[in-house]
Amino acid sequence: MAEQSVLTCLAEQLAQALQADERRVLLGEDVRDGGMLGLSRVAVADEQLADRIVATPLAPATTFVHAAGMAMAGLRPIVLLPSAAALIEGFAGLAEASRVDASTAGERQAPMVILAPCGPGFGLGGDNAATLEVALTALPGLRVISCGDASRVCATVAQALAADGPTVVLLARTALLCTAEVGGEPSEDLLVPQELHTGAQATVFSWGPALANTQQAVADARNAGFDVGLVDVVSLAPLAVDALVAAAATSGKLVIAHGGGRLQGLGAELAAVFADHAILHLDAPVTRVTGTPGPWPRTGEQAAVPSVEAIREAIDKVVNY
Amino acid sequence: MESPWDPEGVEICLQPSGELTDSKLADGMDLRALYKRVVAARCLDLRLARVGVPMWVSSAGEEAVALASSQLLRDHEWLYPGARDFAAYPLRGYDLDEFLRQLAGHRTVDSTGYNGRPGGISAPDVWIAHAPEALGAHLAMAAGQAHAELLKNTGRAVIATMGEGMTTVGMYRETLAMAAACDLPLVLIIKSQIWPEGAPAEAGVLGDSVADRVRALGIWARRADGADVVGVMRAVRQALTRARERRGPGVVEVVVTQLSHCKDAPAHRDPVERLRSYLDREGVWTPTFQDVVEAEARGQIERACEAVGLTGGTHG
Repeated sequence: MAEQSVLTCLAEQLAQALQADERRVLLGEDVRDGGMLGLSRVAVADEQLADRIVATPLAPATTFVHAAGMAMAGLRPIVLLPSAAALIEGFAGLAEASRVDASTAGERQAPMVILAPCGPGFGLGGDNAATLEVALTALPGLRVISCGDASRVCATVAQALAADGPTVVLLARTALLCTAEVGGEPSEDLLVPQELHTGAQATVFSWGPALANTQQAVADARNAGFDVGLVDVVSLAPLAVDALVAAAATSGKLVIAHGGGRLQGLGAELAAVFADHAILHLDAPVTRVTGTPGPWPRTGEQAAVPSVEAIREAIDKVVNY
Repeated sequence: MESPWDPEGVEICLQPSGELTDSKLADGMDLRALYKRVVAARCLDLRLARVGVPMWVSSAGEEAVALASSQLLRDHEWLYPGARDFAAYPLRGYDLDEFLRQLAGHRTVDSTGYNGRPGGISAPDVWIAHAPEALGAHLAMAAGQAHAELLKNTGRAVIATMGEGMTTVGMYRETLAMAAACDLPLVLIIKSQIWPEGAPAEAGVLGDSVADRVRALGIWARRADGADVVGVMRAVRQALTRARERRGPGVVEVVVTQLSHCKDAPAHRDPVERLRSYLDREGVWTPTFQDVVEAEARGQIERACEAVGLTGGTHG
């Protein structure tokens, strides 16, 4: 294990993925020049991979469907996006790629992975600061994975690349900018909820761009003597209901912390899941703490995620309920 | 026999009179067999008109496109059809019962059911792709398939068909950009119409010829007359040959006359009638031959309709 920047690790990982499996193809804007975040930099240096690094026009919808067509023909495309905002620009194409299996009654599949940086962190504001997960999880057939923990980004992406079916991996920008202990190939499944701490007094659920602040708030609470658990939800679609409900039942006092607005956010769905499946275990109202609804100005994009203080307050509230 | 319905800028192989411009143009084509298929396609269209598929529009007069794409593609070469090329499925050998079952939205006993566009059909057995719902998505999907064929060096081409209205759609433009940038073995067959009274906005006609507009993008393009089955086959074959030889994408614009809409179009605008005139001149066509060909096609279609339980009238 060595300290490495997450972006460098990802770039190496993508090159290795292409080298290991000749069905893999890398698509995206500027990928021939290293990609918008330098993620194809290592792959481009290997001349043997040149045919399989495909620079695309600035056309997200067409790129997604193009990748689906490639996947239906037996390739395993990886699409690099400059920002998750491109998922919204290409929404029609994303929907099309997601339903190949259903539209063909299972006769054709589209195994492809889209890597999309999301949330605040680069000072871009606007759609770039958004988490967009609610739009994505509404698409039947699409798997949505959220990476918010810098130390797990590379390994999670590696597992996602091996997954079947169309998959979007949302990469929290705050995690991409980190240097972390990376390397090794963990044997456990990283595409399911990760219980980072167990706790008897409260359980906090979070994911993606809000995870870093949540980790800080939970650490503060634990240092203050509270026995608080933390679950990184990771898989936003499909939701791993059983695992989430089991985690919720350990404390019965739940906080859900996520980016974007509160209204009709994914936290509302989780709260409903807990009400449906864990109502007898609940000892306090399910508390949600979120970002503001946006749009966020460039200089105030941190408002897209809940602050450490707000999450800490919510933890105190449920613990003392 | 020139009329306002006849396109300019096309290489005519089968003249409006039914004469071949040059007898060599039909070398390697069995025009009698093609005639049977084009009649079968017309019979299918007339029958489907009574089935009541949502958003269904007749493709009478457009048969050359379904014919060329189904007959010229080889096994394992995919067709990504537009919304009005139903005849391509049975012409490529797809089971008529299953075709009608999907068209009508019925589930088969052991299938999970298809969930594509209404009337959309998925026929991977005969390498015909399902119908995506977003406008123009089948073009981008075909380009992706073609890209895979190129990267895997299979020497195979892919055809997608569409109407000229789709040229107003972003995914069409973006697909052409991708096809040109990557030299994809993709052939687009675009049906256009002549609008003697002016084109509607949906036609997207920014010039007279779709082929001209495509050529301006630096992509190989030909214009053919949809009433001239031989000419359409010739142009599509050329495009396929280029694609298979990795010489890049091609577009064939086929100018069709929608017979269900254009009641006052002259008879030679009908591809069935034009091919019939040729066979008649050659002394191959007789009313009895016509009766037999039609009865055979209708019989097959009717049997399949009954098997699938499709109501909506029978041939009278």
